[in-house]
Order: sequence, then structure tokens, then C-alpha cells
Amino acid sequence: MTMLALTLLSPLLAGLALLALRRAPEMIALAGIGLGFVAALAQLAGIAGGETVQIILPGLPQMPLRLIATPLTAVFSILVATVAASVVLYAVGYMRGDAERPRFFGTLLLFVAAMQALVLAGDWITVLAAWELIGFASYLLIGFWHGRAGVASAATRAFVYTRSADLGLYVGIFVLIGWAGTSEISATLAISGTPALVAGLLLLIGAMGKSAQVPMQDWLQRAMAGPTPVSALLHSATLVAAGAILLIRAAPMLPGGALLAVGLVGGVTAVITGLIALGERDLKRLLAASTASQYGLMLVAIGAGAPIAALLHLIAHAAIKSALFLGAGVFQHDRNGTGLEILAGAGRARPGIFAGFAIAALALAGLPPMAAFFSKDAILAAALGSDAAPWLLPLALAGSVLTGAYMGRALNVLWAGAPGTATAPVPLLAAGMGVLVGLAAVLGFGFGALEEFLSVEVEKPGWIVPAMGLAVGLGGLALGWFVAPARLLGPLLAPSQNGFAIAGGMDALILRPSLAIAAACERLERALFDAVMAVGRINLSFGRAARSADTDAIDWAIFGFVRRTFALGDRARRLQSGFIHRELALTVIGIALIAAALLAAPLYS
Amino acid sequence: MILELMIALTIGAGLFAVGLYGALSQTNLVMIIMGVELILAAALVNLVAFWRYLHPDEPAGQMFVLIIMAVMAVEMAVGFAIAISRFRSRGSVEMEEARELKG
Repeated sequence: MTMLALTLLSPLLAGLALLALRRAPEMIALAGIGLGFVAALAQLAGIAGGETVQIILPGLPQMPLRLIATPLTAVFSILVATVAASVVLYAVGYMRGDAERPRFFGTLLLFVAAMQALVLAGDWITVLAAWELIGFASYLLIGFWHGRAGVASAATRAFVYTRSADLGLYVGIFVLIGWAGTSEISATLAISGTPALVAGLLLLIGAMGKSAQVPMQDWLQRAMAGPTPVSALLHSATLVAAGAILLIRAAPMLPGGALLAVGLVGGVTAVITGLIALGERDLKRLLAASTASQYGLMLVAIGAGAPIAALLHLIAHAAIKSALFLGAGVFQHDRNGTGLEILAGAGRARPGIFAGFAIAALALAGLPPMAAFFSKDAILAAALGSDAAPWLLPLALAGSVLTGAYMGRALNVLWAGAPGTATAPVPLLAAGMGVLVGLAAVLGFGFGALEEFLSVEVEKPGWIVPAMGLAVGLGGLALGWFVAPARLLGPLLAPSQNGFAIAGGMDALILRPSLAIAAACERLERALFDAVMAVGRINLSFGRAARSADTDAIDWAIFGFVRRTFALGDRARRLQSGFIHRELALTVIGIALIAAALLAAPLYS
Repeated sequence: MILELMIALTIGAGLFAVGLYGALSQTNLVMIIMGVELILAAALVNLVAFWRYLHPDEPAGQMFVLIIMAVMAVEMAVGFAIAISRFRSRGSVEMEEARELKG
């Protein structure tokens, strides 16, 4: 229990301390990550006896937060800790001289802590929280050099793609919790039938986003804008692995339909991103496409009903791919770029690094006796043995051929050009990379023990499967080494270099409708604006009419009346003289007139 | 009877003519008031004559005459009050000089 807490807390606290103190970044980072690694190792040893360790923390009502160390989660945990430790060791050398190292290492440690929380999570709420945290931390890490052109947009793209897919994860998890009535993962895995199918497909969507499966593979290549150690970490054991880890943990629940969907998505991704990798002109982007392709193979294994094969390949791939990225980072330092033309011959200048890179590349292609040989055989065997073999096996084989081909091409490019001048040795970089290359080479021999530890049995393939695997691996390597991709891909070259415009799927599904809605909103807005303006104009004309009526009619009438009254008064005043005699005389005349009128009455009545 | 009435009316007409002449010709306020009194007295004579010779059994005629006499007294008091007040303030009651009533 202590070890479980320590696995999670040591990178977390180290990261927070780093962000708060902002000094001695390398020391704190190495201490935090090293302690986490030791704790993960101790935890693995601790549960070897078969018992599971669990920490229950108060969370939502009736849904406590759980951290759980089963054999499976402990293996994930040690995998994350190992890769993270190597990457941090490498990053100490790689980031030397960068002014923002505290921010870099702090974010990196938080990222590792979030990933540990994800793999050790015992309930779906924790999964969601950790999922969000790794998404956010990866956004920060990819956008680390946010001042450079295109980096911020790459980070935003990665964030938005994975976030869109997270919607599936959310709904899937809510379906699971709602159906099972509890958020505990092991309890929800017992459900079956339609809810399991629905939840499985929704989880697949979430995993597709994080693991960069077609049609959401585009963000992964753009995420290469981040520092190389970040790429190594994201691609091997953490961010991208999160999708596969989610599916591996949920695999016992998935019904046949969901498994088939998982397998087909994985197979299609393995082939398409393999083609993209072959057509790529940038080493890091090639490796990124390769990552998506390898995770496609893992999904094939899950779809074929062999999540342990997927787990083995995940572990093998984690070591191999991080080693490859670290090697690519060294070459990048030498040549100040990652374009394949720029890197031509870079391997000759550093034979040691190139040897490590080559071992990892051959391991990825599936040559014995290295790690991916065993795991790829397990995947091929699972694909062969599954009900959907007619679909899954060809896709898996094609993915493997392509794996060999693009690795062969990368090796060819790195070796064939002019060596250029050798530069200063890079001991820290080499140390971090060496650990991973060593693991990539020998991990395969530990798979038997691992299966025993997890108490599962991967079916031992007959001679046909290793033969097939070896044939496609060697064939692919030969093709990649000797044949230029332009000839190899033929008419597929241009589309593969454009990412098959499958990101266009994203565009067509989300971007264009959004733009159409925006345009419609704009039209509505204009119509509303015009209507409002028309109402305003009508009111203005009313006002004008009222004003003119006021001045022209009412005022005219009133003031005219007033003027007439004044004039009348003036006239009446002229009669007034002030002489009493005259007034009297007028009175007499008036009376006389009245009298005359009265007297004359008989005349006119 | 008609003859007596005619005599009385003739006296009334004479009185009226004298009063009218006085009121129009005099410039002194007191004299004008006296002219007006004569005019009123002429009207009273006529009234009394008509009552006496035509409707002697109607008491309303006598009452009418009495009321007019009371009103005459009041009017005279007001008129003389104005005259005295004017004499005090201006030292004269000549109406040719009094034009303040002009509007």
C-alpha cells in the first residue's frame, strides 16, 4: 500500500515541488522519477504472492476512488516507471541549456504521475480524471516550445482530437456505471449483452482518439512539434498507450461485435499508417506514424481475443519506440533537423547510437530473438486463431511487412549518406537510450515469466507463425532497404504523404459542418440585424412624422390662436380711450341703438 | 288717467334729458354722478307712474322702485368714495385728466 501510494505520489510531489521552487530541475526530477521507479519495482515484487493491494479514497457518494495493484496494473506501472526514468535521464542531457527546464521537468513529472494514476486506477472515475490529466499534461508538453511556429496549433490539434474522442469514453463509462451501479472497474467488467456492446464501442472511440487510430491518426504526427523526450514518452508507454491500456483492461467485457470492431479498426490503422510511415520524409513523423501502426497491431490482438498478446507488444513496443525516438533525438541534435534528407548519413557519424537505433529498428521489424519477435508472433497467432482470421490475419501481415519496410528505409537513409563531422559525445543521452535498447533486445526472454506472473497462457504457436512473422519482417526490411519508397508505393505515394487525407474525415465530420453552421449562423445574424434595423427605421420615421405633426400642425394651430387672440386684444384696446365722456357717449349710443331695434320690432316681426 | 300718465312720463323724459346732458357735458366727476342720478330718477318716475296708473294693485312695482332706490344709494356712495379718494391722491376730480383707465 505504501509502495502503491509512493509510485503515484513521488512523481506528483516532485513535479509540484519543481514547479513551485523552479530550481535544480534535474536533481528533483531524477529523484522523483527514481523513487517512483523503485516503488513500482517494490510494488511488483510485493504482489508477486498473488494478493492485490488496494487504496480506497473517499470520492463521489457510493463511488469511492480506488487505486488498485493487480499483477496487470503493476506490470503497466513498472512499464511506465521504466520508460519514464530512461526518458528523464535522457532529457537531462537533451534539455541542457534550455531556460525553461523547471517547467519542462515539472510538467513531465505531472504527466508521469497522471499516467500512473490511470494505469493503477481501480474505478472509472479515477480513469476519467487521470485521462483528462494526461490529455492536459500532453498538451502542455507538446506545446512546450510554444513560441515556435506551428507548435501551439499542433498542441491544440492533439488536444482537440483526443478531446473529441474522449466524448466516447465519457458516454461509455457512464453507460458502464449506470448499468453496473458501481464505478469499480472489476465489477463493471461482469456486464454483458447489448450494454457491453454499446459501452465497448464507445470505449473504442475514446481509445481510437488517444491511440491515434484511423481516422484520428493525424494529430500524432503533428505532435512531433514537442521536444523529442516528450515524443518518446508519449508514444511508448503513456499517452498513446492509454487507449490500448484502456482496451486491454476492458477486454474481458467486450462482446464479439465490439471485438470485431476493435480488430478491424486496428488492422486498417496498421496498414494505412504503415503506408503513411513509408511515404514520410521526416524521421520523427515516420516514427509517429509507425507508433499508430503498432498500436493498430495491438488492437488487432485485442480484437482477436488475446489482450495478453497486445500487452506483450505494448511492452516491447514501449522499449523499442522510446529507444528509437531517443536515437532520433541524438541525430536531430547533430543535424538540427529531422527531415530524412537532412539526416542522410547521420548514423555513420555516430556508430554507437546508430547501432542502438538499428537494434531497436530490427526488433520492431520482428527479428528474433528480440522483444517484438515474440509479441508479434503472439499477435499473428491470435489473429490466425480467431474467428475473424480472414480479415485480421491479412491486415496484421500487411502491417508487419510495412513495419519492416519503413524501418529498413529509415536505416538505409541514416547509413547511406555522407557521415559529416562527428560531434561531442553525449553520455547522458546514450545512457538513457542504452537502457531502453537493452530492454528492447532482451525483454522477449522475460515474456514467459510475465505470462506466468499474470497467470495467463498465451497459446504457443506452431512453426508456421514464427515462419510467417520472420518472412514478413525480413521481406519488409529488404524491401525498405533496397527499394525506394516511390517505386514501392507507386500510385499510393502521394496520398500516403498527405496522410491519405483521412484527417479529411475529421474535416468532413466536424470542421465542415461547424463551418456550415457558422455560415448559417452568420446568415441568421444578418437577417436578424436587417430586421432590427428595419424596425429601427420604421420607428425613426414614426418619430419624424410625430415631430413634424407637432411642429407643423399642433404648434401652428396653438401659436396661431395665440397670435390671433393678441391681435384681437390690440384691436379691442384701441377702442379704449380712458375718457369717461367718450365711454358714456358710446354707452348712450349703444342704448339708443338697442332701443331703436326694440322699437322697430313691429316693423320686422 | 292717461292724461296723468302722460304728464308723469313727460316729466320723466325731461328729467332724463337733463340728466343725460349733465352726464355728457360736465367734466367734474361729482357733476357726472349727479347727472347719472338724474337719469336714474327719471327711470324711477316712469316706473312709479306706470305702476300707479296702470297696475296699482301690483305691490311688485313698489318693491322694485324701493330696491332701485337702495341700489342708487349704494352706487352713489361708491361713486363719491371714488371721487374723494381721487381728490385726495390727485387734488382734482376733473375727468379730462383721468386717463389711467385706458387699456
